[in-house]
Amino acid sequence: MISRRALELATAVLTGSFGVAVVVSSLDNGIGWSSAGVDAGTFPFLTGIIIVVGSLYNLVRGVLPAATLASVPIAITPIELRRLAGLFVPAAIFVAAIPLAGMYVASALYVFAVLAIPRHQSVPRALAMAGATALALYVVFERMFQVSLPHGALAAAFGF
Amino acid sequence: MDNLAELLHGFTIAVTVPHLALMAVGVLLGILVGVLPGLGAPNGVSLLLPLTFGMQPVSAIILLSSMYWGALFGGSVTSILFNIPGEPSSVATTFDGYPMARDGRPTTALATAFGSAAFGALIGVILITFLASWVAQVALAFGPAEYFAVYFLAFASFVGMGGAAPIKTVVALAIGFAIAAIGIDTVSGSVRLTMGVDELVKGVSFVVAVMGLFGIGELLVAVEEEFHARAVSSKIDWREVFRAVGRLPQHGVALLRSAAIGCWMGITPGGPTAASFMSYGIARRFSRRGRYFGTGEVEGIISPETADHAAGTSALLPMLSLGIPGSATAAVMMGGLMIWGLNPGPMLFVDSKDFVWGLIASMYVGNIVAVALVLLTVPVFAALMRIPFVVIAPLIVIICVVGAYSVSNSYLDVVMMLGFGIVGYLFKKLFYPLAPLVLAIVIGDKAEDAFRQSMLISKGSLGIFFANKLVTCLIVAGIALLLLPLVLQLARLWRKPAPSTDRTTAEEKVII
Repeated sequence: MISRRALELATAVLTGSFGVAVVVSSLDNGIGWSSAGVDAGTFPFLTGIIIVVGSLYNLVRGVLPAATLASVPIAITPIELRRLAGLFVPAAIFVAAIPLAGMYVASALYVFAVLAIPRHQSVPRALAMAGATALALYVVFERMFQVSLPHGALAAAFGF
Repeated sequence: MDNLAELLHGFTIAVTVPHLALMAVGVLLGILVGVLPGLGAPNGVSLLLPLTFGMQPVSAIILLSSMYWGALFGGSVTSILFNIPGEPSSVATTFDGYPMARDGRPTTALATAFGSAAFGALIGVILITFLASWVAQVALAFGPAEYFAVYFLAFASFVGMGGAAPIKTVVALAIGFAIAAIGIDTVSGSVRLTMGVDELVKGVSFVVAVMGLFGIGELLVAVEEEFHARAVSSKIDWREVFRAVGRLPQHGVALLRSAAIGCWMGITPGGPTAASFMSYGIARRFSRRGRYFGTGEVEGIISPETADHAAGTSALLPMLSLGIPGSATAAVMMGGLMIWGLNPGPMLFVDSKDFVWGLIASMYVGNIVAVALVLLTVPVFAALMRIPFVVIAPLIVIICVVGAYSVSNSYLDVVMMLGFGIVGYLFKKLFYPLAPLVLAIVIGDKAEDAFRQSMLISKGSLGIFFANKLVTCLIVAGIALLLLPLVLQLARLWRKPAPSTDRTTAEEKVII
């Protein structure tokens, strides 16, 4: 179970650290005024500062028990968390598999795994849908619009 | 009446067989992404974007804008029939649309929604027809300082009127700016904010951000609340369609008020979502039947729908004439314009007349096509909603992955897209607004360039932003909008004993 407060804090920390990274990184480009006008790092530096300050404000708002927070103390229940993971984890594995397996094989495997393993669909139907997905991608992108999707390291090893 | 002559010329471009076919395709694809949860107008349009590179710009924009109209309509269909808003901007339509449909009047609800939506869109297009070229003419005289002031006003109005928590809006905007700055700096040529990743030199495309924020993010929100598509009957009774549309003029005041709210929120980038909520909130306050709102009131459907479409349409006005998009989808379209080699802004009205007036004319025709198609296809798309979500979700993930990859054939983009998905989920969950983030990614560079050019002209003095009446007004208005939430907060503390008389609190409650 994740509370609304924890989620607010996590997000504020996330945006805040991005802000710090922006500030630090923009210092390399120089901030302030030079002979060529406003230095390249100035604008990012300012936005970084705004992000950091804003995130700090949101952080404090998240810690203090404000009225809006009290009304929704729980942001994500365990069941919801399981559903989220059920969608996101396979999607992340799918993306991780693309460099190796290529877009076509990876997406076919992904569709098959998501449908067949939790038994949402029968194995033959899941197979058919997986095949149809890969074929549709191939026809639309490789053939109709001439956009080459990654074939993957495995396919390259077999000479495709 | 130059505008009318130009418009007639535009019609000769828009009303051709290939363009009408493109409109139909665009509208159907739009309804499809509008109906499917997880896919919306912004990422629908960005998905289609790489496929338009080989087209004439005017054909491409007709396709993309038709998709936008279709998505706006599609979102209302699911709101009314399934109580599931397909688009964020049609959330307010569920309040009265679904109860009415559930009470056995789905046709009335749909026809009322489409009729008032078409009216809102029409007012928006008329506004564009008469105002856009005038605004562009004024803007031709703008220097960098004026441009920066207009950008500043646009960003400030998100903070002041966007409806989300002001500081969260500021953070979202600033993150967008920082993302826009990643890569090669156009002024000095130096590489910025790549954090050591060489591939980031090319920058972060807004398409990648949109795919993640709106696609994966919305999918995660949708999967969390596992919806059951308990549809009411989706049969269309054609006689009732005409009767319902015929009854619309009785609600003329609500129609005009909502259209005005919508146009205002579309031009100042408040966006369709804020417009529909604000319009619903105001209608509930001022309608004689306000206390029946939420049980299937006609005006409860008219108000959000009219404002939604008026805002969606008029969001293209500042995009065309100033180069400032009024909504997330308009921002994506503007990104497209730049890719097609057009320069959004006042010069468009001088250099690319065919493009501008072809687009404006197509908006009249496209909305008619959209109303007709959406009425004809309601049963088909309603059937689509009965496909289990577990089947649709992986397909949408694949579409987003392929969409992000095809922007520049980069695997890093896919990984970033997934990262944006998490950010999009968190932001949606915690009411950080996404539209300003996308807007800042698309026009952040331009705003920065305008600022730096003005600084070069003034040799580093901020006085240039108060050098003449126009720029001073814009900057002061921007600052006022930035401070508006603070002032309202103070005012609320001041008269705490009677908070119910404060109209803004009522509106905010609706928005939150």
